[in-house]
Amino acid sequence: MRSSKVAIRYANSLLETAIENQNLDSVAADMQLVASTLGSNPLLAKVLMNPVIKSEKKISILKEIFESRIGKDSMNFLVFVVNKSRENLLREILLKFLRLRDDHLGIIKVNVTTAFEFSDEQQSLLREKLEAVLNKKIEFIFSVNPEIIGGFVAQVDDVVFDASLKHQLELIKKQFLSGSPSLN
Amino acid sequence: MAEVRPDEISAILRKQLSGFESEVDIYDVGKVIQVGDGIARVYGLTKVMASELVEFPNDVFGMVLNLEEDSVGCVLFGDSALVKEGDEVKRTKKVASMPVGEAMLGRVITPLGLPIDGKGAINTDKFLPIERKALGVIQRQPVKEPIQTGIVAIDAMIPIGRGQRELIIGDRQTGKTAVAVDAIINQKYTHTDEAKNLGIQPVYCIYVAVGQKSSTIAQVVAKLQEHGAMDYTTVVAAAASEPAPLQFIAPYSGATLGEYFRDNGMHALVIYDDLSKQAAAYRELSLLLRRPPGREAYPGDVFYLHSRLLERASKLSDDLGGGSLTALPIIETQQGDVSAYIPTNVISITDGQIYLESNLFNAGVRPAINVGISVSRVGGNAQIKAMKKVAGTLKLDLAQYRELEAFAKFGSDLDKTTRRTLAKGARLVELLKQGQYSPVPVERQVVSIYLGTNDFLESIPVHDINRFEKEVLEFIEVKYNHIFENIKKEKQLSDNIISDMQKAAEEFISTFKKSEKVL
Repeated sequence: MRSSKVAIRYANSLLETAIENQNLDSVAADMQLVASTLGSNPLLAKVLMNPVIKSEKKISILKEIFESRIGKDSMNFLVFVVNKSRENLLREILLKFLRLRDDHLGIIKVNVTTAFEFSDEQQSLLREKLEAVLNKKIEFIFSVNPEIIGGFVAQVDDVVFDASLKHQLELIKKQFLSGSPSLN
Repeated sequence: MAEVRPDEISAILRKQLSGFESEVDIYDVGKVIQVGDGIARVYGLTKVMASELVEFPNDVFGMVLNLEEDSVGCVLFGDSALVKEGDEVKRTKKVASMPVGEAMLGRVITPLGLPIDGKGAINTDKFLPIERKALGVIQRQPVKEPIQTGIVAIDAMIPIGRGQRELIIGDRQTGKTAVAVDAIINQKYTHTDEAKNLGIQPVYCIYVAVGQKSSTIAQVVAKLQEHGAMDYTTVVAAAASEPAPLQFIAPYSGATLGEYFRDNGMHALVIYDDLSKQAAAYRELSLLLRRPPGREAYPGDVFYLHSRLLERASKLSDDLGGGSLTALPIIETQQGDVSAYIPTNVISITDGQIYLESNLFNAGVRPAINVGISVSRVGGNAQIKAMKKVAGTLKLDLAQYRELEAFAKFGSDLDKTTRRTLAKGARLVELLKQGQYSPVPVERQVVSIYLGTNDFLESIPVHDINRFEKEVLEFIEVKYNHIFENIKKEKQLSDNIISDMQKAAEEFISTFKKSEKVL
């Protein structure tokens, strides 16, 4: 609970600095890179988590990996986080930052599950509809699950827009069962 | 032969299905991150409300009790084995509510309003939330009508009014439930035409069983049925085998049901049997939800748990229909210790208490009510005038008797007045004894107490008092029935009634003695 509070604070300050310096896009791309590297390399994450390894060592490791790949500001932020010995929260901070950036730009990620892959036309139709409802720019993450039979399920944060055939059938079943003694 | 045409069938099907809308269903979800012991921690559900009902898979419902920074603590109303980590949780956007209405009478239901008596579905379309705010000052008025329990000791000395909260407290096996069940059975009278003519409004009863054995609940239901009391009674059952969350909400759903009657200008009596078990269930929940424990490991808000429940009992103002909800909470003490946490709390919330003691019970005084420390703070206003008049001296006489009782045990020489006080007290105690499931109508109570306090029993041996009481009431019913009728109608003791009572008693005592001599 406390760690998430800390992560939000660091992420917020990074976002604000990036907006001030007008390099939000490049910083965000850098952070995306660092986050995905951390995610795909458990060894690197382990090293950062390890309290036995000195922060100088961690900084030099991070510099060696990222210095040539990311901007100066981004590198400074990584060093700053390590210096404040919050490197164990680094990944969390980065994810929060990316999330906050999305909020700032009015972008929202939507998980869409379909029974079969949507055609481009269907995608743009769905985008049009959802953007009208949510009033935000939409970034789709598609996945296919034949179990929903037909239609689609779109999830935005906690809210689910369920237009799947499976759910409709469940609703019909519920309506038929309501008031019957078997529910007791 | 008449045939059913296929197009007819499809028309019917279409009609039945027409209520179904196949639009996009929008709902909020979360994910279970931890589950067990009837508690689930849910990630997500960011917009959920406190005490909102949420739906887990497999038709398990839960209620949100804890709203934390990044998770939500829910209690489950079903088997927690049916819920797994990672399951999807849906908001229902409803606070926990239950069906209410007259259709619930005569039924045994779970705290969520589902019938469990095998009599089929309950047809009611009215729903009320289980947790409701108690009424304010403006909506209320003082208690003024009596609720007759049919138990002489209570109706005479610890009278209960409609809208009152009277605690029944005592150790295990002292007859707490018996008092409550007798009170329910006695309400049968209020549903008769005779009561209607006398202006006595019917009282609907709700018996909430919390954490009891299912066999005990079945016994109570059977007894109520046997005495024809189920017609106006609902039993809300959360047996010991039910999950703690259900035991915790059971009294609230009982109160909700009672409030339906109250708010519609009717009268209801709700019995919470018992609140110590509810507090224990709530303690279990709170500890599992990691709320900090306080005294006796109860959470800090255990007082509020009971005060918000009992505060819902009330007598409505005439503008709102004048309905009432009377509450008889029951608390079980351990070894007569009323200074434990829960008993002191509930004593301070209620408008009086009825103490039942195991030594009285064992000495054969049943109902085992200790009238010395039992009180009713508001019920006196509700007593009928006749009862007030005869019972006034009763309490005094019994107090004097108890004071002298200790002396008498020394066997020292006692003067005449002391002996008389003792003899009278012993007869009064005998007079207040009463069998289970045999409530006494108020007019009969008035007569027998009048005879007791006015020294008509002096010549009757103590062991004969019970028989005498029974027979004299029968005698009056047969020969001087107008005494009962007049007390019922006038509700006070006029000089006429008093002289008639004296005449009848003297007449009966002379015959009673004679039969005694033959023996």
